[in-house]
Amino acid sequence: MSGFTIAITNALEFITSKLEGITVKHVLVGFICLVKQFHHFTCKDLVMERVHWTSTQCIHTTNHLLAPFHQGIQAKNGGIGRRSILKGAAGVAALSSVPGVVFAQGAAKEAPDLAKLVAEGKLPPLAQRLPSSPLVVTPLEKTGVYGGSLRRGLRGSADHNGILRMVGNQGLVRWNLAFTQVEPGVAERWEVNANATEFTFHLRPGMKWSDGKPFTADDVVFAIEDCCKNSELYRSVPSVLVINGKPTTVTKVSDTVVKFTFDSPYAMFLENLATPLGQQPTLFPKHYCSQFVPKYNANVGDLAKAANMSDWPSLFRARCGDIEIPSRWGNVDKPTLDPWVVREAYTGGATRVVMERNPYFWQVDTNGAQLPYIDRLTFSISQDVESLMLDAVSGRLDIQDRHIDSLQNKPTLSQNMQRGGYRLLELIASGAQQCQIYFNITHKDPAMRAMFSNKEFRQALSLGIDRKEIIDLVYLGQSEPYQTGPRPGHPWYHEKLARQFTDHNVKQANEILDKLGYSRKDAQGFRLRPDGQKVFFAIDVIPTLYPDLVDTLELVRRHWVAIGVDMKVNTIERALYYTRGDNNDHDAAVWPGPGGLDPLLDPRDYLAQHPQGSRYAVPWTLWYVSNGKDGQEPPESQKRRMKLFDDARATADLAKRGVMVKEIMDLCADAFETVGVCLAVNNFGVVRNNLQNVPKGYPNSWSWPNPGPSMPQQYFFQS
Amino acid sequence: MLRFLVTRFLWMVPSLFVISFLAFVLIQLPPGDYVTTYIATLAASNEIVDQNQAADLRQRFGLDQPMIVQYWKWITGILLRGDFGLSFEWQQPVSELIWERMALTLVLTFSTLLATWAIALPVGIYSAVRKYSIGDYIATFFSFLGLAIPSFLLALVLMYLAAVEWGQEVGGLFSEKYQTAPWSWGKVVDLLWHLWIPVIILAVSGTASLIRVMRANMLDELNRAYVTTARAKGLSEFRLLMKYPVRLALNPFISTIAWLLPNLVSGSIIVAIVLSLPTAGPLLLQSLMAQDMYLAGAFILLICALTLIGSLISDILLAIVDPRIRLE
Repeated sequence: MSGFTIAITNALEFITSKLEGITVKHVLVGFICLVKQFHHFTCKDLVMERVHWTSTQCIHTTNHLLAPFHQGIQAKNGGIGRRSILKGAAGVAALSSVPGVVFAQGAAKEAPDLAKLVAEGKLPPLAQRLPSSPLVVTPLEKTGVYGGSLRRGLRGSADHNGILRMVGNQGLVRWNLAFTQVEPGVAERWEVNANATEFTFHLRPGMKWSDGKPFTADDVVFAIEDCCKNSELYRSVPSVLVINGKPTTVTKVSDTVVKFTFDSPYAMFLENLATPLGQQPTLFPKHYCSQFVPKYNANVGDLAKAANMSDWPSLFRARCGDIEIPSRWGNVDKPTLDPWVVREAYTGGATRVVMERNPYFWQVDTNGAQLPYIDRLTFSISQDVESLMLDAVSGRLDIQDRHIDSLQNKPTLSQNMQRGGYRLLELIASGAQQCQIYFNITHKDPAMRAMFSNKEFRQALSLGIDRKEIIDLVYLGQSEPYQTGPRPGHPWYHEKLARQFTDHNVKQANEILDKLGYSRKDAQGFRLRPDGQKVFFAIDVIPTLYPDLVDTLELVRRHWVAIGVDMKVNTIERALYYTRGDNNDHDAAVWPGPGGLDPLLDPRDYLAQHPQGSRYAVPWTLWYVSNGKDGQEPPESQKRRMKLFDDARATADLAKRGVMVKEIMDLCADAFETVGVCLAVNNFGVVRNNLQNVPKGYPNSWSWPNPGPSMPQQYFFQS
Repeated sequence: MLRFLVTRFLWMVPSLFVISFLAFVLIQLPPGDYVTTYIATLAASNEIVDQNQAADLRQRFGLDQPMIVQYWKWITGILLRGDFGLSFEWQQPVSELIWERMALTLVLTFSTLLATWAIALPVGIYSAVRKYSIGDYIATFFSFLGLAIPSFLLALVLMYLAAVEWGQEVGGLFSEKYQTAPWSWGKVVDLLWHLWIPVIILAVSGTASLIRVMRANMLDELNRAYVTTARAKGLSEFRLLMKYPVRLALNPFISTIAWLLPNLVSGSIIVAIVLSLPTAGPLLLQSLMAQDMYLAGAFILLICALTLIGSLISDILLAIVDPRIRLE
């Protein structure tokens, strides 16, 4: 049975490696660094500059060693024979011209390969493929030329949203570039009734799915009424389509007019529709997906059995997907409305994903030329995030911010700009707070609860933090002391909420703690609680996700020693972090605080509204989401904010909504539930120099799923 | 012999049950479940799962049920319908995912095995027979070197050399042209052209240790009285070696078959990731990291079944090769 023992040991090894979050690349790059040290290229200088010793930072000292081998495996991603590069012996120079292969063209209204198909009679002419009123996109800098293949990277597992962000932003409506306003998408216009209960969308006449079949109001009705509201398929209706516990009703007015009706006012509906979670109405083509629904196909059970699926909902999800599951990109047969459609699918065994232009795409540029400009997207799949970073710095990705946008990577990215032939892309933080500390106000232990739920105690801890030192050392001076709330410059910016208790005042902090009854101290100088226990708690943090937060907390720990408070930086694995939060087992936790640009879309720090997000009072969030059935009843201030939040979402008038938000922020500032360190820091991605029409920077957000709303369909390669 | 086979097969059934249960428990041991990991992964990119959907997911996958119920559903699915379930992450049948990768994994492992044996056996015999000769020293030197170099490092160095010095394409098992092409003669040639790097890398450490084992075993046998007797009776040196001491020295090789089979799936994961080979190893690792229960469970069950079958095969082969071993 020795083999069995080996199997068990193997399994255990994986589990431990998972717990420690060490990836193969870490080991590997670390090893190369060691080897390099023997060759006098010491990485020590880095350590002495107090820059963190992460594997990524070693890359820039080691990548000239690895560079030839990157170019070697380039062929896999770049689509050119590698041998030809090496024979040319001009590695990088040859590579930089690859995606720029475009053909001179006059006033071509469609891509040359499509024009050829039309000439051969295999594709209808352009006029028949476009709707009568296509969406006219104004190119960011200039109109582009057709051609080229754009390279991006994906991680091997759970990275389907990397595709969604690039191509899947084709909902009824969409965000503008500035993330301030909703603009026409699939719907060319819409009307909203006075109390925001009826939304009438006008679709584009003659619009087609990517297989050439017409897209009409029937598809929208089918997607909502037959799919989203089918309790076998969705046990509960997706929350964007629900207000006050009641789902929407969708009716067809004519072939191109469709009406969403709600029982109560839902002013935020359009904003929600513009986010990724609002994509359902345009996700399911009726002529294709109805074959997997029992209402339209009585034999769907046989289909499921033939496909080795247990039931029809599994089959439906496998073929038609859902907003954010991998199978959305796993079926080459499913028609879509996206600029590029899947050619090589994202499945469990895939090593890359290839998407090609949709010949029926319904958007044109200002010259009337059909978008997208770029022929093809190639997503290479890396098993490890570190190798994506290697790809980026050696210029083998045309646009990439996902997975490589950590603060630690910034020096490496800027140092390799010349060599990699790319420019930096600024990701404007959409969050409010870089390091939000959530003390568990609803702690299970009464003594801890008494401590954390006391506003003055939290105030003392906040005053005890030397924010300037943290900003200088960890964030390279790129931030300012901050608590929470919409970012400076936002119309709803709230001075008190943002800046209260952010000065470093050890004396005042000590006075407050003495006054609160924590004046006795133990031999090491730590304060004692009235019950004789040391004032001690642990803050949960996930080192593999946010290494900067670990550094920040280490400094905070040192600052708090000065006020006699003992804290442990509890570095744990992410699934454990979530489990502890779900069970309300944590003393405190940190996470970047969202809601800086989109306060009403992600208000988890302003009121206890998100069970996985508002970690200062998870039981209150349960009370809120269950309408008072589960969890614990929150205090009046919270209940008032919950009411205001619901009202604000139902108020169409922006001025009135602003008044409500102001009251939420006032109450939040008075309650002072979370303690922040500094304003969320901007990150950076890379764009190859020959890729045009890409903004210099854009919001880094899920509600504005970058880069989607910057319209990658109008990016193009300059020859 | 027949009776032996039947009892062994019967014993496999309860063993597999116990193993499958243990495997299931092991996969469940880390905190959280697939949905937690999924939410955490998305949250890492600041992405949010619809709150209504998160609860749905857990219910749909049956993760809200007690573990024993989940196990029962899983194992009855396998026994009654041969259904290994649906991978949570990919919404594809598990068997499809595994088989997709198994063919190439088999090709790679068997080529490696052949290469290992083809080099290790003759060299091991030679260095035992010509003990302390120049050839022996050279073989010993290289086999210690092979043992000492971590295979992923060797992979990196070879990738570097192959790319820069010889202009060969590295990484993956196919070139761009053939990656998604249907099977053809050209594709097979392309595969062989790519196969040699991973085969050499994987074979090096195995070969090195087998050479040492073979040499030590042979040295034990060469001084035995039966060798002297055979030589005294005038048997040619080659025939003598092959017929007696080599046959005995082979025993450890055959015993290792027991863990060669499970290594098909779980071996060489690091090398596969470095070289980005589309084999089963990386998929197994990925499924365990994502806590994709059914995919990981099927993999572990497969590994265990292969171990059981492997040890049976090695027992039978041992009995055939070495007449002194009796199975009854």
